[in-house]
Amino acid sequence: MAASEGRSFDWRSLINLKTAIIFACIALIGWFVAAFALDHKQVFLPGETSVGHYLFETSCASCHEGFKPVSNDTCISCHEAELAEDTHGTKKFLDPRWAGDLANIEALTCTTCHNEHVHMFDRGVHLQPDLCMVCHEGIINGDLKSHDGFTADGCWTAGCHNYHDHRSISTGFIRQNLDQPPMLPVQILPERTVVTALETAPSPDLGQEFLGGGT
Amino acid sequence: MNRRLISSLITLWLLLGLMAGSTVGWVTPAWGDAVDQAVVDESTQLWQGSAHALNDVNCSSCHQNDAADSATKTFVAHPDQESCRSCHEQAVDTFLLGKHGIRLREGETPLTPALARLPMKAEAHDLQMTCATCHDAHAVNTVQAAVDSCLTCHNDSHSLNYENSRHAELFAADRTLPRPSGSSVSCATCHLPRHELKKGDSSITLVNNNNTYTLLPRDRMVKEVCMNCHGVEYSYNSIFDDDLVEANFDQPPSLSLETFDLVRTLEEKRTDSGSE
Repeated sequence: MAASEGRSFDWRSLINLKTAIIFACIALIGWFVAAFALDHKQVFLPGETSVGHYLFETSCASCHEGFKPVSNDTCISCHEAELAEDTHGTKKFLDPRWAGDLANIEALTCTTCHNEHVHMFDRGVHLQPDLCMVCHEGIINGDLKSHDGFTADGCWTAGCHNYHDHRSISTGFIRQNLDQPPMLPVQILPERTVVTALETAPSPDLGQEFLGGGT
Repeated sequence: MNRRLISSLITLWLLLGLMAGSTVGWVTPAWGDAVDQAVVDESTQLWQGSAHALNDVNCSSCHQNDAADSATKTFVAHPDQESCRSCHEQAVDTFLLGKHGIRLREGETPLTPALARLPMKAEAHDLQMTCATCHDAHAVNTVQAAVDSCLTCHNDSHSLNYENSRHAELFAADRTLPRPSGSSVSCATCHLPRHELKKGDSSITLVNNNNTYTLLPRDRMVKEVCMNCHGVEYSYNSIFDDDLVEANFDQPPSLSLETFDLVRTLEEKRTDSGSE
């Protein structure tokens, strides 16, 4: 062995920058391979996952297909109900009045505003809170008298406006329900009715199986 | 000298990184499948009075695998959500979209409270979230699933303050019922709301088990839930008051959102210009 000969080999010569870099590369590759093999995919996360997605953040394939950009279809497979009536959806931008606005912001791609593993301001939106100003700057600068001088970042952070769903927050909805008393005259939630087909329960059709444990 | 120092530091950093990485992970508890006769008797008794028994859903309906692709009928000690889904399709499909069920949808191990970012009770940390974690499939009693099941795990102020709310007072009257009535408010009323679905000419009331759906934006809960009983202004002023949310609505709102002043001014203008 080289070390036992003791003349030409000094173990301290191993500690130099070149060896360290080679060792670092081997260790990093080994680490990634081990992370894959042992299913510890947290090490591949490029940043903190949002509050809505962190519970399955190690299931990369849930959103990513290789290194392709995340598609709208991926998002919609879970968020279909939230987008049932999207006021900033395809229908809006087919209208020539608004179609040009797509040049300001790629509003029809979910990840334009909802990126992941980056800092979020609220509601899973990573753009600065004044993002509405890209198209609606006029509203606070004279186009709408009641909103003159409003701050640029308040549209949605103050809770007044919703980008996707206007159903319960639009001026029309509030006007229609204005001046309601704190308690409505009829206070009732939907009732669940469960119908039964038999008068009495049948005889249980398993018994011994539970004692044996089964498979 | 400097180079040696740098290379030693890189090596140290890598070793520490490896050590930290190897400690991440958890152990899944092993199930003991066999049960005592007393447990079987108790479950049978609960089942006999349940909506399951009275709809001819027997032990084998859930505890026996008779899928078309299995040659023999095998005993299943712990039926999973797929078993429930064979009858409760909408309930399971919505469950799988919320935080409670999303890990199962994405092929991961079931959610345990230990993985949550919200405060959870220490003794519940290892509970695995499936349908049966909250629902007793033998008793088919959803009163228990509406509050007690939630408080088995959830340990944040909003959850713990529920008991002091007017909503909880109303719910106390439902304790002896098989399922919450339409006049009380439980955790599930707001977080797993009932919704009416059109089914042909008639409509059917089902439960949306996607517990994330009404959380954000907050106005979604206002329309879906609050406005079944409360006026729009009272609802908005309550749900946008963080302290009141944390206290679980123990008193009327003190917040007064400017939105309503704006809409009132607009209304006055419309009326004025209309009368001119």
